[in-house]
Amino acid sequence: MKNPVIVLMIALLGIPFAVAGEDPIQQREELMEETRDALKPLGAMAKGERDFDAEVVNASFAVWKRAGAQFGDLFPEGSESGGGTEAKSTIWTDREGFDRALAEFNEAVDKAMAAQPGSVDELKPVLGGVTKTCKGCHDGYRVKDD
Amino acid sequence: MRGRKRAVVGALLILIGAFWWFSRPVPLSEEDLPDHLPDPANGERIFHAGGCASCHAAPGAESRDRDVLSGGLALDSPYGVFSVPNISPGMKHGIGDWEPLDFANAMLRGISPAGRHYFPSFPYTSYARMSISDVLDLKAFLDTLPASDQENAPHQMVFPFGFRRALGIWKRLYLDQNFVMAIDQEDALLERGRYLVEGPGHCGACHTPRNRVGAPRLDQWLSGAPVMEGEGRVPDITAEGLADWSEGDIGFYLETGMDPDFDVVGGDMVKVQENMARLPAEDRQAIAAYLKRAGTGAH
Ligand code: HEC
Ligand code: HEC
Ligand code: HEC
Repeated sequence: MKNPVIVLMIALLGIPFAVAGEDPIQQREELMEETRDALKPLGAMAKGERDFDAEVVNASFAVWKRAGAQFGDLFPEGSESGGGTEAKSTIWTDREGFDRALAEFNEAVDKAMAAQPGSVDELKPVLGGVTKTCKGCHDGYRVKDD
Repeated sequence: MRGRKRAVVGALLILIGAFWWFSRPVPLSEEDLPDHLPDPANGERIFHAGGCASCHAAPGAESRDRDVLSGGLALDSPYGVFSVPNISPGMKHGIGDWEPLDFANAMLRGISPAGRHYFPSFPYTSYARMSISDVLDLKAFLDTLPASDQENAPHQMVFPFGFRRALGIWKRLYLDQNFVMAIDQEDALLERGRYLVEGPGHCGACHTPRNRVGAPRLDQWLSGAPVMEGEGRVPDITAEGLADWSEGDIGFYLETGMDPDFDVVGGDMVKVQENMARLPAEDRQAIAAYLKRAGTGAH
């Protein structure tokens, strides 16, 4: 039934992705970029550069929900350095604190989803609740090196 | 032979005398204090601009607990580990029994009520640019906060940096109440921005590189520096470093922690940003105007 050639092609095409996907540093950097890209339109609404749009807001919340579920698995032993990582060594020396920071982010995202903001004025405090937890984690577990 | 010995001893005595003279504390006196009715509301604004709670609140304190300035935070540095003291209005271990003059001397001259020099880990090299009336208002605000009688832990200094008297020489060289940047004096917004950044805001404490004895290099004002004890770099926030930022972007960053790419602030800047968020919007605009538009150094 299945065409073996197609199966083979998919398998071959999958290889580069699988290899890239095995690098947790690159994966977590991409996940964080996605997280930031989801913040962009909402930040622009708060900044007054863009009109409020509930659909866009909900789409961003969904990205955060998924990112929050995956992020914690991307810091295995051995991925402390290299690949231009901005991860701070404290992630490995204080894993408990890092996990707590991630849990706070997940809670804030759940709260934001439950709040269902319907205007910029409702969005602002909800957004502040989430970015507070981005800061809370970047405060202790990320270093910018530019 | 004996003459030579005497000359050496004499020279030594002169040197010691000169050291003692140049390192002596030069405090303000009662006459330097203006007749001023303190305004605690303005004091609160200066408190947030000055980031006092970032260092003096108990480590890890959240929201309202940050009003209890019991101290206890350990500040790591190449010169040793400083233990931040209690500055709550506690009578025993806080500063509840300090006169306004004592407080002004600490903030503007880096001198304790007992006449000793403070270490510049207490960023009085910036606070020295504050106006006396703001300092008196700040004390009036601190007096409204809850008292704590937590005892101060001693600093753990690396030899020979624990010798406070020598700081007198350091202060003669580097304690400078003049502003760093020349600005257009007509522009009230820029003037306010310069005051906030170079005075209470002590932005230079992290964003300006230091020389070998820990003094800010004014010729590289705000141009970025390594993180004092830790990983990473503090970014360049000169007009050049912030070329891609508009004044509105800087104000929004200080208010919300989001940069123009909507990345979110981290590291030691988080506490600073959260303090800046408590200021009126016009203060954040003033800071933004200064960072983008202050001219070349006055030094
Ligand atoms: C639980 C901790 C945590 C939370 C929560 C968190 N971050 Fe991060 N973030 C990190 C770490 C760690 C890095 C560095 C990853 C690396 O380089 O290996 C990072 C890196 C980034 C980067 C740089 C990515 C790159 O390499 O280009 C951006 C942008 C970013 N975060 C945005 C956000 C935003 C926006 C939020 C909130 C909506 C957020 N982060 C929440 C920990 C967190
Ligand atoms: C970067 C951290 C830091 C910040 C910010 C800071 N301080 Fe301090 N402060 C210190 C340290 C460290 C000392 C101890 C200095 C010493 O012992 O020589 C100190 C000492 C003091 C003292 C002397 C206390 C005593 O018992 O002798 C006072 C008063 C004080 N600070 C007030 C303030 C006020 C008001 C602010 C805000 C405008 C402030 N500080 C901001 C670190 C800080
Ligand atoms: C305690 C140290 C400290 C002090 C004090 C401080 N900063 Fe910062 N600042 C930082 C660090 C560290 C970063 C990098 C933040 C990050 O990793 O996200 C930063 C980042 C910034 C940025 C963003 C620059 C960029 O390119 O991303 C601006 C703007 C800024 N600071 C302005 C200020 C102003 C204005 C003040 C004074 C009111 C100030 N800072 C005081 C440590 C400090």
